[in-house]
Amino acid sequence: MVLEATMICIDNSEWMRNGDYSPSRFQAQADAVNLICGAKTQSNPENTVGVLTMAGKGVRVLVTPTSDLGKILACMHGLEIGGDMNLAAGIQVAQLALKHRQNKKQQQRIIVFAGSPVKHEKKVLEMIGRKLKKNSVALDIVNFGEEDEGKTEKLEALLAAVNNNDTSHIVHVPAGTNALSDVLISTPIFTGNGEGGSGFAAAAAAAAAGGVSGFEFGVDPNLDPELALALRVSMEEERARQEAAAKKAAEEASKQEKGGEQQASSQDATMTERASASASEAETKTNDMMDDENALLQQALAMSMDDPAINQEAKDTDMSEAASDDPELALALQLSVADSSKDSSSQSDMSKLLADQSFVSSILASLPGVDPNDPSVKDLLASMQNQSEQKNDDKKPPSEEEKK
Amino acid sequence: MSGESASAIQKGQVDLLDFIDWSGVECLNQSSTHSLPNALKQGYREDDGLHLDSDADEQLLLYIPFTQVIKLHSILVKGPEEEGPKTVKLFSNKEHMGFSNVNDYPPSDMAVLTPDNLKGKPVLVKYVKFQNVRSLTIFIEDNQTGSEITQVQKIMLYGSTVETTDMKGLKKIEDH
Repeated sequence: MVLEATMICIDNSEWMRNGDYSPSRFQAQADAVNLICGAKTQSNPENTVGVLTMAGKGVRVLVTPTSDLGKILACMHGLEIGGDMNLAAGIQVAQLALKHRQNKKQQQRIIVFAGSPVKHEKKVLEMIGRKLKKNSVALDIVNFGEEDEGKTEKLEALLAAVNNNDTSHIVHVPAGTNALSDVLISTPIFTGNGEGGSGFAAAAAAAAAGGVSGFEFGVDPNLDPELALALRVSMEEERARQEAAAKKAAEEASKQEKGGEQQASSQDATMTERASASASEAETKTNDMMDDENALLQQALAMSMDDPAINQEAKDTDMSEAASDDPELALALQLSVADSSKDSSSQSDMSKLLADQSFVSSILASLPGVDPNDPSVKDLLASMQNQSEQKNDDKKPPSEEEKK
Repeated sequence: MSGESASAIQKGQVDLLDFIDWSGVECLNQSSTHSLPNALKQGYREDDGLHLDSDADEQLLLYIPFTQVIKLHSILVKGPEEEGPKTVKLFSNKEHMGFSNVNDYPPSDMAVLTPDNLKGKPVLVKYVKFQNVRSLTIFIEDNQTGSEITQVQKIMLYGSTVETTDMKGLKKIEDH
């Protein structure tokens, strides 16, 4: 995903008429250029690519660095073969074109297709390489076509002069049945310094291997880049939405349980509906969760009933849990109990309702995660019947808990 | 203008290190192992073993933007006797210069460093030309002995600030 401006230097000299790469050297080169442009623009939408020809009447810039893929592909049409390649001038013009790129934050890169023999001296090439390095321009060389004596040596020397921290590469492609583009796909020129081949490169490789349009979503990004992009974006959105929905469902599950407990304390009739609705989710909870819920449930029940005895009882049964988990919580409960013990207002209706054990037990049974046979729940129910006797224990438990 | 810091040499001038916008600092033709932070950053620059080296040839082009507008009073360039820089050209407020266009503009100031300077004597710049500096470009043209590589151990900039708002420090007022 490096932000890059790339200039591609095409060799359109007479040497490109040869058919040792199918269908012809020039055609293979053109295909490779198309693929590279696509890969660059897809790896980072702000990347720009430009094209120039090195042979013909002279070095000619066909398109200055742009992110518009259509423009680049259009200019590849109607290119004529002829003349002799001028490597040095080509690279220098490419460097100049990059210097005047619009977005100065882009890294500079030149990709050279060297198909014909190199007539420059090694020294000249090394000087050019040094100049590129000085201006932090990376260089990729594709050595194909003519195998001239000294050509490989000169190009390797050029690479050595330019290379700064392995940002520049050279690829030698011998003639054969493999298409030029196929060989290039696996090279760092395509995959960009081993950042991980873009999805495009992988898809293109699959297509080449399968021979069928194995592109993502069955749409050729070359033919219809906008459609391919839209499909890809919607796929990502869908994935993100599913993840968010999954997260939300998990959150809601935990929320529902808490909601179930609060409903019980306020004795709302609709609580049973809620409970049944969340019962399916609750069934999957572990036993640990159930214990915690019991403790919380009892506290909630006890506090809403505003009966100090019950509070004490509830606190006695699960004080060990609460105290070990949260001493601050225990202290707070203590204080609230101390306060409420002064209040003598009792909700007679509520307590009568709660005193009806069968009603309470039926409600408790329908609550998620509450087992009526649980000892602590049974204690609670028992305590509700012995309210008056428990009031005498008010003074004792607080002192007990303080010692804990 | 903040008060004197321990490293200020002239009265009222501050070390401008705190006002450098590190995200935009660039250096052309630096070696990858010996890079610009070695010469600029607090701690690194004090260590003479850590220095900035040039790569392909002896020239270096440094671009230092600031977080606010400053006035530049003097600069201090420390380097080894032989490979230390000699001709230093300063350009103020010129963005993204390259080696090809350094000679297109006249520099705001130019200094030829003597061995005294390389030992730690600061160079006073033409203060009037650096009253309103947003970014500084330092072009090191050659070194003392003409060797292949130029080495710089420390670069310090002295000056003062102009009262400007640092946009990053502006905080949105929360609605209550």
